[in-house]
Amino acid sequence: MNVTGPAQTLSALPKGLALRALPALLTLVAMVIILIICGIIQPHIWSQSGLTLIMSPIVALAIGSMAQMVMMSIGDIDLSIGFFIGMITAMVASLLGETPIIGILALAGSVLAYAFLGALVQLRSVPSLIATLGASFIWLGVGLFLLPSPGGRVPNWLFNYIQWEPPLSIPAPIITMIIATAITWFVTKRTKVGVHFRSLGSNPVALERSGVSLLKTRMLAYATVGILGVLSGITLSAEIGGGDVNAVPGYTLTTITAVILGGGMFTGGRAVPWGTLVGAVTLGLLTVLLTFLNLSSNLQPAVQGLIVIAVLAGRLVVDRMVR
Amino acid sequence: MMSFRNFSFPPWTWSFLAAVIVLILTFAVSGAGGAQTLTLAFTLAPYLVLVGLGQMLVMSAGPGNIDVSVGKVFSLGGLLSIAVGEATGSWVLGLGAAAAAGFAMAAISVVAILYVRIPPIVATLATSLIVSAISLTLAKGFQGSADPALKGFLSWAPFGVPAFAVVVILLTVIVSLVLKWTTWGSHMLAFGQARRAAGYAGVKTKNILAAVYLACGVFAALAGALRASFSAPNVELGNDYLLDSIAVVVIGGTLLSGGRAVPAGVWGGALFFILLDGLLNLIGWDYAGQNVLKGFLVLAVLFLASGAPILARRSPSPDTSIESEDEAQEDRL
Repeated sequence: MNVTGPAQTLSALPKGLALRALPALLTLVAMVIILIICGIIQPHIWSQSGLTLIMSPIVALAIGSMAQMVMMSIGDIDLSIGFFIGMITAMVASLLGETPIIGILALAGSVLAYAFLGALVQLRSVPSLIATLGASFIWLGVGLFLLPSPGGRVPNWLFNYIQWEPPLSIPAPIITMIIATAITWFVTKRTKVGVHFRSLGSNPVALERSGVSLLKTRMLAYATVGILGVLSGITLSAEIGGGDVNAVPGYTLTTITAVILGGGMFTGGRAVPWGTLVGAVTLGLLTVLLTFLNLSSNLQPAVQGLIVIAVLAGRLVVDRMVR
Repeated sequence: MMSFRNFSFPPWTWSFLAAVIVLILTFAVSGAGGAQTLTLAFTLAPYLVLVGLGQMLVMSAGPGNIDVSVGKVFSLGGLLSIAVGEATGSWVLGLGAAAAAGFAMAAISVVAILYVRIPPIVATLATSLIVSAISLTLAKGFQGSADPALKGFLSWAPFGVPAFAVVVILLTVIVSLVLKWTTWGSHMLAFGQARRAAGYAGVKTKNILAAVYLACGVFAALAGALRASFSAPNVELGNDYLLDSIAVVVIGGTLLSGGRAVPAGVWGGALFFILLDGLLNLIGWDYAGQNVLKGFLVLAVLFLASGAPILARRSPSPDTSIESEDEAQEDRL
């Protein structure tokens, strides 16, 4: 078999690891290329304020993608995360600012609602796709009820966060993203619960026979998704300075793409927090790049779609070389 | 198979039951004008049914298959058919252009799924991004209105029976017959049940996948073209149709894991959704309340319907077959 240059170095790694890490590595290459092109067009981004400016809209997407990643690691898909994050921004901008206690209760209730959704999926063997679809109507309705039109006021501490300039001129959004990813990595890869999540995705029968409650595991996983969704919503409302349930309905599908770009799979059993972070940042930077290129905003989605296809096609080619 | 039939309800029962309950509630609230409610529901439902039929074909082709571009293709079909119809003066050409656009857009998804091996949900998402760019460009300074003859037909309801609904019911029957009685239909369902086994048995798997996605694209674009002729074209016309189409298909009894298509159930699900919107408007709920209730009802229907007479409950074999399917899918991804 003819082994080409780059494949040879990769084959030096254990093959399984190479295959798992490869998708994220390719996405990382794409991300670096996009970042460099952005830097050439607009050298101002190489500063604390510049990087903060282009990275801060991506924070919510990155944390939302973590939520989707946890969901996909148990073999489920969340079609409601976009409206859920929107609903959380509405909660933050209406309840949390005025009556913090009710606001916190509402946020906790949202997490609980997610856990119940997990129970429905497990107990009645409802497909997660359709259960979360039903839930997305509820999130939209609750969000509209709390905040019929975009606006509201975010609490002061969120304002302070947005204006925070960390020492050593590290951009604040990058710190937030890395902390969120590290926590997700720790939970999904280094704890017992995380192992349960992944085995629920890859082999639920084995998990049950080892004496673990599938219901409890799925409810915990859904609650984790809910918690990450709440965090994403909080960062988003800080970013947009208010609340809007219709702020990011597109996140539902974008987060799935981020997980796939990061090496996740629909069939579950694989948790890829760092890959997902790279995927989300790549998708976010793509928007920045297209804006820098002065491309008509009407054409931006098409270019985005084509680049996603191109990255995945590139992965296929390299994947074949490694195999 | 027959012995199961004798003891269990057909899978579309629950969706129609839900629709009938909502209808009875509507009658109870409004007091009179029952026939009018039904006519209105049957005027609005066919568009959702058309999109749903396409989505149903895609979903029946096995786990993981879903088309999330239907909403955007719907809007594009609407804009394009009105634009072409206005330019050429013929609504037939307008509909033809919409169908061709739907076909072309679905072809992008098909290439991405079959040759680039992108998971369908991401591939169709990429397609929908491309489609929305085309729609946005097309909609810039868009003016135009539907052909009066076509518009007249779509709202024509002799004796309270909308003519267009009859056409779509005929189409639904044709789709059922194709699935039930043709070789292609059996191949498609076999492919949905066990991808690998069907492949070994000589089913041309690529053709099946291509056909369902192309049909879905054409149905969505045509539905959009007709919907735009019924009211007015708009970039956001199709947005609600994405989630609604998935919901009505599953409520109608089609299995998300593939291999069981229930065309009649699409009607049940669509009528349920349309009647529900009507009922909530009638009792004066705002959009927020409508969505919350809609969500809870979808979950309630799922809760009731999913544990019911589905074959998987009776024998353990379908469960294991689904799992091995997943593994096959995993290899493919």
